Order: sequence, then structure tokens, then C-alpha cells
Amino acid sequence: MDASELQPISQFIKAQAPFDTLKAAALERCCKSLTVGYYSKASAIVPLDETHPQLYIVRSGAFEVRDDGGELVDRLGEGDYFGFLSLLSGEKVSNRVQILEDGLVYHLDPDTFNYLRSENRHFDRFFNRAFAKRLRHQGRFKAKDLATTSRVNTLMSKHPVVIDSHSTVGEAAQKMRLARVSSVLIIDNHQLVGILTDRDLRNRVLAEGLDGHLPVHQAMTTRPKTLTSSSLVFEAMLLMSEHSIHHLPIVDEEIPIGILTSTDILRGQSSQPLLLIGEIERQHTVESLISVSKQIPLLLQNLISADARAEEIGRVLTSVTDALTRRLIVLNQQLLGEAPMAFCWLAFGSQGRQDQAACSDQDNGLLLAYEPDETASAYFDALSKSVCAGLDSCGYVYCPGDIMAQNPLWRLTLKQWQHKFETWVNTPEPKALMHASIFFDMRSVYGPSSLFDSLQDTVLANTKGNDIFLAGMAGNALTESPPLGFFKKFVLERDGREVKGIDLKHKGNALINDIARVYALSAGIKEVNTAKRIRQLMDLNIINRKDALNLADAHEFIAHMRLSNQGYQDKHSQEITNYLKPQHLSSLVRHQLRDAFKVVHDAQSGIKLKFTRSF
Amino acid sequence: MISQLLKSKLCWRAFRCRSEVMRLYHRGLMSVIAQDISQTQLIALDLEMTGLDPNHDQILSIGLIPIENNLLMLDKAEQKLIKVEGGVGQSAAIHGILDNHLEDAIEIDQAIAWFVEKTQGKVLVAHHAPLDITFLQNAMTNTMGEPVKLLAIDTLAVERKRLLRKHDVLKEGSLRLGACRTRYGLPVYAAHNALVDALACGELLLAQIAAIGQGESLTVAELLAIK
Repeated sequence: MDASELQPISQFIKAQAPFDTLKAAALERCCKSLTVGYYSKASAIVPLDETHPQLYIVRSGAFEVRDDGGELVDRLGEGDYFGFLSLLSGEKVSNRVQILEDGLVYHLDPDTFNYLRSENRHFDRFFNRAFAKRLRHQGRFKAKDLATTSRVNTLMSKHPVVIDSHSTVGEAAQKMRLARVSSVLIIDNHQLVGILTDRDLRNRVLAEGLDGHLPVHQAMTTRPKTLTSSSLVFEAMLLMSEHSIHHLPIVDEEIPIGILTSTDILRGQSSQPLLLIGEIERQHTVESLISVSKQIPLLLQNLISADARAEEIGRVLTSVTDALTRRLIVLNQQLLGEAPMAFCWLAFGSQGRQDQAACSDQDNGLLLAYEPDETASAYFDALSKSVCAGLDSCGYVYCPGDIMAQNPLWRLTLKQWQHKFETWVNTPEPKALMHASIFFDMRSVYGPSSLFDSLQDTVLANTKGNDIFLAGMAGNALTESPPLGFFKKFVLERDGREVKGIDLKHKGNALINDIARVYALSAGIKEVNTAKRIRQLMDLNIINRKDALNLADAHEFIAHMRLSNQGYQDKHSQEITNYLKPQHLSSLVRHQLRDAFKVVHDAQSGIKLKFTRSF
Repeated sequence: MISQLLKSKLCWRAFRCRSEVMRLYHRGLMSVIAQDISQTQLIALDLEMTGLDPNHDQILSIGLIPIENNLLMLDKAEQKLIKVEGGVGQSAAIHGILDNHLEDAIEIDQAIAWFVEKTQGKVLVAHHAPLDITFLQNAMTNTMGEPVKLLAIDTLAVERKRLLRKHDVLKEGSLRLGACRTRYGLPVYAAHNALVDALACGELLLAQIAAIGQGESLTVAELLAIK
């Protein structure tokens, strides 16, 4: 038989990771060598023949893998595998596979399995990784649909200026002046016939002694080089330098939709974080600061396209926010005069943790050196109000929970803050704890570090080893659970518009943040960035190395998925959300995401055991 | 009891045979009849024909998939295309086999010889077996020059019995292969060729055995007896 004769089987196998990476010949050999079995719930367990290990591929039905202690190891459904442990190790494995629901299972013999491993690196790596249950895949993966290497449509100017070929160059020049552009596209019958640039006006009109009455078609460049909107920026640069041109019309299906200039490309490269931060520091008015902040979404896009690590992206975006905040404070102080006393601008939540992404809102507060008098109060009131308003205009919307410096509740002296934290720590009521989780990820963005240190030191002295408080915080981190549903398929939630998706933030990263926070507070660690917290916890031997690496990897992986998803949403002009639609994912990424959520789940069990003393 | 009956039937058939091949064929099955189904070598079978009338229409292709130890062996799956007299005609619309597909097809005599060799000592399984079996018997009778009778497990009959026992009302189409498979949660297979249908039928039998057996042993004869 050849693979085409047993299509239902070859089609199914071909769609599964890692089989989807196999070449046609290997795939055919694989399909040919399969045997098909049916396991009924009535027989309770799958009889695993230890002398003849095989890879079991679940085609239908539901199964559970349990270790010799009866602990649940894994739940399997369509497209999942078992039996690879003994295949890879060659050792007897004591896991039992229970049948939850009757199902059809394909078996792959060891010879073919080893042949496929030797034949295909991805195949081998997939099972080795599954075997090691480790998640060191940061940055290497890429969901097919989410691929966002830099494309020209991210840089081009949309709505190009156009004119027909029978107009005069004078009219063209007026249009260019009006739109403040250096080129105009010549369109006849909706078709691009040419381009007229500043340089053409100089060389072909003025230098020739001609005047503005010359028809456009006599001065334009006919049939200019074009690219489509999905071309890479790199290709555009190549084309421009090859033909020494500075303007490229972007044409999709013969309709001109934009124009890309060498300046656009330069601008694209200049939205690098350091340049942006430099630019922020050079601004002298709040208005110009707001206009500079418009580059932040572009910066995020570029970082995502450049495949930066999610942790780096978070840090970079946060340093931009920090710079913007500091500049707003300085500019407003220039208007209001010198502050009457030393103060710190505190950042909480995601800005505190340095993991900001798109659509972050504000979480901030003021720490004052001592009790302000009436004038001082009025001063800080005015200052914080204008800084918060400035941040809002720059795209950091007001905090819905009103945790902002402009709210007098969160504008406190050192003593008051210390007292506040003390209350949270000593009377850990659920609601106070929920609140507190935002405040414990705290960093000073502006102001003397000694002032901030005095606050943080007392807070950590209170939390360290405080069992009751830590139990409360741990309980708080257990209220949500990662979307590991029944057969380890995703439990889907509905967002407001009744669209299914996984909430990567609240069911993923937020939980890891919570877990890292509980451990960090228990150990009195000053660091608030989640990745750094985990690293320190590993160095201090509070979390074992393997678990710490797993947790850090899961954090990075889920954050990366969230960012690339937001990049995808932005590119397709969808609303930016934390919801991911699993159908956009390749089978491999789906597996990895499930593994990542599994790690979060395990870490939750870890803190439950360690801090809540309940089982 | 049933197995004794079937055994004597096979014995009689072997005795009446003039052809040595068929005598061995029937004898080969005698030892299998009383066996536990999970220890028996079975072979799932499907035919594509030019029509549904065994007296006029011809076999176009035969698909075979062996079942050993309750496992379908895909590496031993085979299918043969068979030359027909005249054209494929209107039936092409159903099985998708066109005249030009039959260029490397074999003669019906060769196909029968191959079929006998492959199924020697194995119990045939087919969905709506009487139809396929009649076609095969007719072709074999023509080739061998003497009447031939075959035995087969009919997954349709097994399903009908199971449904009737549950006092289900049999609805139109509820015994079709696809409908039966759905009842056991088996995947939907779109394509129709002899080999895929043989696979579909083989999987259905495994599911039925699992459902009937409930851990108890089930003999080949018990399944063969369901008509």
C-alpha cells in the first residue's frame, strides 16, 4: 500500500506535531508500519508489553497516565502520546495507562520510531523534550500564524498622494507641498503608471528650463519598482540601494496602497529604545512628550518582530515608561516650582515588576519624607494630578482601581506607608491581600533611594517568615487555576464578545507573578521583577534548580505567546487583549503551551504545600 | 455447540471439494473456529464493484487488512485492482475508480489466487458481508469450475443484533458503516476505496468485540453465527 491508499491515517498523522515535520517518504514509512488497536473502558488499563515498547498515538478516546503511586501524571486525548518513556530510556517504566473512554490507538514500533528520530532533528527533539519534561525552548519556537518579521506595511505611509498623468507638474508640486511629502504617485484608471519625486522636479523640470505647465507624464518615472505590503523591510532596502532610489510604491493586487521612503526605514530603525529614551529626555514640553510617546506602540512592534525575549521586551518598555514618568515629573516641577520636601514616585504592579506590555494602565503612588503642611499638600496634589494626566495622554490609561498618586489615599508619608503595609501583613484579609499583591511589587521611579529603602526594608522585615500572612498570600495565588482542563485540553473562557480564548495574563503570567512574590516575600528578597525573583530564589536554594528553571521558562514562554498574540492582533487591527485563540496555534506550540501551564499548575501545588499547610 | 456445527460444515465442504487449494482452505479454518477471537487471525475485507447485482456486476478492487492479536496490521494491508469486461460505467461515481486506473490491474483469476493465498487460515470480516461474499463466491466458482462457499463475520449483522437486543428501533441508515462507527466514537473517514473501507470495518469489529466481550472470551464461531 502507499500512503494515499490509507488517507484517513496519513492525514491524521501528518497533522500531529512532531510528525508534521517529517518528509513525505518518512511519513509514508511511518504510516505503513503502524498497527491499530482499540481499547475499551471495560478492560480498565492499556496492557503495556514491557518487552515490546511502542509509541502509542491516541486517535480517539481518553486516557490517564498514573505513576506507581497512583499519582496522576498526565491526561491524554486525541493527538497525545504515551509509551515514549520506555522507548527512549529502554527501561521498564512503572506508569500505568488507564482508559477513561473507549478509544482507537495507533502503535508505532521501536525500529520505525528510532528511524524517524535519526531522520529528523525536530522529531527527535520533540520526544526528548517531552521526555525531559523541560521547557528550554524560549525564543526558538514561533507560531506559524504569528510570524511577524519586519514587513514593509509596518513602516510605509498609507494613503499615498496621487494625481493623474494629465495634470501638470505644478499641480503635482502643490499637492506634495500640501501633504508635505516628497513624492506623488501617478494613477490612471486605478493603475499605477509612474512616480514623481522632488528629485524629478529638480532634474527633469527646473534644470531643463521647463515650467510648471509641463504634463506630469513627461517628468515622471514610468513603471517604477514596487513591492507588496507583505515584503520584508530588508527587501525594500535592497531594492532601494540596488537602483539608488528613495521611494517605493507599495502595490497590492495592482492597487497602490502606500509608499515607503528611505526616511521611513530610517525612522523605523530609530524607534530603538535608547534613541526613544534619549528623545524623551530632550523634550521640554508635556505636549511634545506626548507626541514622542506615540512611538511606543511601534517600538513594541519592532521588538516583537525582532523576536526579542518577552522578559527583555517588558524591561525595555518599562524603562521607557520610567523615563517618561521621570520627565513628566521634572517638566511639571519646572511649572510648579521646587518640591517642598524629598519624595519618591512609586511604581506598582506591572511597571513595578518591569513587565509592561501593550495597553498597560497606571499603578503608582507617592512616598513623602514627612507630614506635609497645607501648601505642601496642595503642591503634591497638583504635581501628581498633572503627572497622572500626562501619563494618561501618553497611552497609560488611568488605573480603574484608582491606585494612583493623584488619589490622596496613595499619597502617604514614610510612616503612613509603613503603617499601611503593617496592617496588610498583620491582618491578611482576602480583599486586603488582593489589593496588597499590587503594592508588594513596588519600585521607586523618581526620588532619593534612601527614602525608598527605608520603606522596603520595613516591609520585608514584616513579611519574612510571617506564616499567617504568607499563607494568605499563597491562598490568593491559588484562587485562579491555569487552563488545564479535563483531557489537558484547554479550558476555554469567553471574553466580552463571546469569542473563545485563553486568558494568558490572568491564567498564566499573573499566577507565576503571584507565586514568585510569595516566595520572595517569605525570603525577604528585594527584587520585584519576576524572572529575577525566581533566579534569586534558585540561588538561595529556596526553589530547587529544576523547578525554578521550569517556572522561569514557563513565564517567558507564556509572556512571549501573549506578546506575539498582541503583535498579531495589532497587525490585524484587532483590539489588543490577553486572549489567545488556540486555533491559531500550530500543534507543536499547543503542546508546549500545555506543558507551560502544567508547570504553573505544579508550582501552585508547591506553594500550597509550603505555605498553606493544607492538602 | 455452534462451533461443532460450523466445524462439520467446513469438514463437509472440504470433503466435497475437487480443488486441492480449496480443500486446504476449508481445512485451514476448521482449527480456528473454536478459538478465542483475540487469538485468531482475522482479515478485514472490502470490495468495490461495478454495481450491486452479483449475477451481472463485476469486482473492481479488493482491499484486505489482517487483524492479529486484536491489532490491525497496516504493513500487511493490500489492495488489488481488477480488470473488468466492458467499462466501469456509471459506478465510477461511487467508488471513483476510472477506466484509466485499471491499466495496471490484474485479471480476476490472478486476483482470486492472491485472495485465497492471503486469506488462507484467516477468518473474513466484512460490513454487510453477504454482498461481498456472494461476489467473491461467484468469481471463485467461475475460476475454480466448482461451487464455492465462504464464511465471514458480518459487522453489520453484529451491530443489528446489538441494537435489537437494546430494543432500539432500527432507523433507516443506522446500520451503515459510518453510522455504526459513530456509535463507538470512531473517527469519520471521508474517502471511499476498498482499503479504507476494510480499515473502517476492521476498526468497527475491534470496537464491537470490546463492547460485547466485557472481558469475557468470545469465540470466532459465536461471531460467525450472527446473521
